[in-house]
Formats: sequence, C-alpha cells, structure tokens
Amino acid sequence: MDRVSAYWQFLRALGGTNLKTALAQRGHFAFQALFMLINNLTFFVFWWALFRNVETIRGWVIGDVQLLYGLSAASYGVMVVLAGGVRQISRWIDHGELDPLLVQPKATWLYAVASRSQPSGIGDIVSGVFFLAMSGRVYVGNSWLAVFSVLCGACVFLGGALAFYSLAFWLSRTETLSRQLTDFLILFTFYPDSLFSGPLRVVLFTVLPAGFITYLPVRLIRDERLILLPVLLLAAAGFLSLGVAVFQRGTRRYASGSRFGLWG
Amino acid sequence: MNTLLKYWAFVRVGVVRALNERGELYGRLLFLPIILGVFYELWSAVGEAGMPTASAPHDLVWYLAATEWVVLSPPLIFNDVQEDVRRGDIACALPRPISYLGSMFCQGMGMLAVRAPVLGLGLFACALAFTRVLPEPSDVLWVAAFGLAAMGFIVACYLLLGLAAFWLDDVTPLYWIWQKSLFLLGGLMVPLELYPEWFRELGSFTPFPSLLSGPASALTTHVTTPAGIALATQLLSWSLGITVAGALLFTHVTRRLQLKGG
Repeated sequence: MDRVSAYWQFLRALGGTNLKTALAQRGHFAFQALFMLINNLTFFVFWWALFRNVETIRGWVIGDVQLLYGLSAASYGVMVVLAGGVRQISRWIDHGELDPLLVQPKATWLYAVASRSQPSGIGDIVSGVFFLAMSGRVYVGNSWLAVFSVLCGACVFLGGALAFYSLAFWLSRTETLSRQLTDFLILFTFYPDSLFSGPLRVVLFTVLPAGFITYLPVRLIRDERLILLPVLLLAAAGFLSLGVAVFQRGTRRYASGSRFGLWG
Repeated sequence: MNTLLKYWAFVRVGVVRALNERGELYGRLLFLPIILGVFYELWSAVGEAGMPTASAPHDLVWYLAATEWVVLSPPLIFNDVQEDVRRGDIACALPRPISYLGSMFCQGMGMLAVRAPVLGLGLFACALAFTRVLPEPSDVLWVAAFGLAAMGFIVACYLLLGLAAFWLDDVTPLYWIWQKSLFLLGGLMVPLELYPEWFRELGSFTPFPSLLSGPASALTTHVTTPAGIALATQLLSWSLGITVAGALLFTHVTRRLQLKGG
C-alpha cells in the first residue's frame, strides 16, 4: 500500500512539474492546443462531405463516426498529456540519454513516459469531448462508459507506443519507424471497422490494437453491450503490460551514452 | 552562366541530402499501401452505399494516389529556414554572392528530384495493386506535369513559411494551418465536386485547388486542352505572386535583422 501511495505521489509531482513547464510558455501551450483542435475538426470535414451524399457506410452513420473520432482523440489526448515522454523514448535510447533515469528508485519506464507532457493533447481531449457530445450516443446516464473507454484506450495507446518506441533498443535510429507505426495505429482508430476484413482485422486487434481503442468501445457505448467492459479492461492491462515488458527487456541491452547533462 | 552553375550546385546539395535522409522516405513509402488500402475499402463501401459520383471507386483511389504524391513529395524546407533564423546562421548566408531564398529553393528542388520519383513509383505500384486498372497514359502525363509544377510551388510556400520564424518562435502551427487548408480546399481525399457549392467557391479564391484537385482531376474526369491552359495559367499566376511576395518579405525581414554576439 505504501508503495502504491509513493508512486501516486511521484506521479502527482511529475504531473505538477509538467503543468508548470507548460504554463511557463502560455502562448505556446495555447497555440499547440488550439491548432490540434482545429486539426481534428478539419479531418472530420471529410466524413461530413461523405455523409452529405450517403446515409450509411456499411452500417455506420455519421453519429457512429463522431463517436469513433471522439474516443480516439480523447484517448490519444489523455495519453500524450499524462505520458507524453513516450514519443521521445527512441531518441533518448539512440543518444544514450536514459542514464539519469536508470539510477532513479522508481520504475524507469514510468519516469520516462511521465516526464513529458504534450500541450497539443489538450486540444485532442477538447475535440474528443466535442465529438462525443455531438455524436448523440453519449448522454449523462452512460457517460461513465465513455470515460471508462477513453481511459482503457489511453492505456492501449500507451502500451502500443511504448513497444514501438522501444524498438530502438534492438535497432538503431528507429524514431521515424516508431512514429510511423504509432501513426498507423492512430490512423486505423479513425475508420469504421466494417471496412476491414480478413487478416487485416486480426492485425487490428493484435499488432496495431485499434480495435480495443475505438471499435469495441463504440459497440460498448452504442449498443450498451456491457459484456465488453471486462474485455476492454483486460486489453488495457494486457497491452500496457506488454509495452512495459518490451521496454524492460530492452533496458538490458541499453548502452550508456556516457553523457553529462541535466534531466528535465 | 556562372550564376546558373552556383544554383545548380545547391540542387546537387539537395539531391545528396535527400539520398542521405532515406529513413523518412522509407517511412513515407511504408505509409502508402496502408492509406491507399484503407481508402480502397472506403470507396468500395461508399460505392455500395450508392454515392452519386461520376467516378468509379478505382478512379478515386488513383485520384488519392495523385494528391498524396503532390503532398508527400515536397521536403519540409521551412524547418531549415527556421533553424537558420533561430541560430542566426542566416546572417552568414547573406553576404554570399547568391540569393539565400534562391539557394534554399534550389536545395528543395534537388531533394524533390529524389523524393518525387521514388514516391511516385511507390504510389503507382500501390494504386495498381489495389485497383488492377491502369489509367490512360495521357492522364498520367497530365498528373506528372502539373503535379511537379504544384510541388515546386509548395516548396516556395514552405520557404515563405520558414521566413515567419522572424516573428514566431515556432512556425509549425502556421504550417498546420497551411497544410489543413491545402487538404480541405485542395481536395486531398475527395474530389471537390463532393463538397457543397459555397465550399468550392471559397477554394477558388486560393491556390489550393490548382495544387491538388487540378493535377489529380485528370484521373476522375475527362480533361481538355482549354482546361490544361487554364490550370497552367492559374499555377503561373500564383507562382508569380509568391515569388514577388517572397522577395518583398525577405527584403523586409533582412532590413530588420539584428545580430547579437558572434
């Protein structure tokens, strides 16, 4: 219990420091958040144009797609606000900059991911909430399902990204590849699952687990299939554990950069 | 002649840079089959739903391949200009007997000379694999000619974006606005005829439709010689406009350049 409380205090302190850092550059913070919001709204114009011409696309109506967008944007936003450091891991490994974290008493992966926060994530969260509200699928009574889905989605995103960015432990200069893999994961969360079939569908529930970030949560909220609650919880725990395991395994191969510097 | 040789040297620098920065290019190549595969499925589904469009799903996949080619090929040269401004390196470039903007543009074109053929071939192969239909050679020629001209214009726009670093700390948000305007008003993912009338009219006041929809429309509609002349005129006028704007802006920013330290 003491251990859990110590970790909670540690994460709160890291979160507080990240917030202070972000607010120290208020203009930059607001700019990033605002433009990410505009970015997400812009991409939805494509669907708006499509649904002006057809009512359904393989059983999906515009409200379902808004729900899909809301879940994906909010999950990713929560992930990059709370664990924005995950996107820097490849670079830290390549440059041998993990040294200061390895000697810390807390788990290295947790320190690494929580040591940065991306202000653009606030824009993702705001646009996510906007899309959820506009979808007509989320109301006060089932809003807890949306919150649950977003948190599980954020864990799956984090697990996937942690595994992709940890590839740098085995292969050199993988930042572009890792970013691409993470982008593919994001990309697939934005399209209805009825578009995909065969082996690709298996990929979307394993290698690129978009299925657990948006497809199943959409069914949970839209059809109120509560049986999916434990499935999502298991998927969140499973993918996060997998990401952590890949990172931990990789640290055994890590070579120090023998650099002097300050972490922060 | 000597002046041309100086600029040619910068084109070669760009070629070498693009060859050395292969990682990003490979990443983009990896992206192509995925995005075209997703859209192939999407257009098939939209076709099943009975969307009233003159184009067949495979034409729309070729359309997307063409617009993605124009968007993905130009190097993000504004990052280099931004770094030069931030570090003050631009001050060292000014006394050189060559225009800074001209040299950066040539470098960008050199990078484009490597990226455009590689990505073009990748997109062609992916689109062919998904649709199993070959477009008319004359349509491919249209896309290649106007697409390359559009890419040159985009490189010039990136230079202008980079110059905004004289006022802004980070020009990335400005790039996002430019990029999203291009996607929307240019018709990146869907031909402009699927958008409402007012939206298309709004786009006609900008260069964006002539950069994406203009070159790619040959793959979805029948194009004529007058349409080609109109598109060439539009591209030329906008290019002239951006050249003048770039020259004026650069003169203005270098006048107010202040150096601190050495």
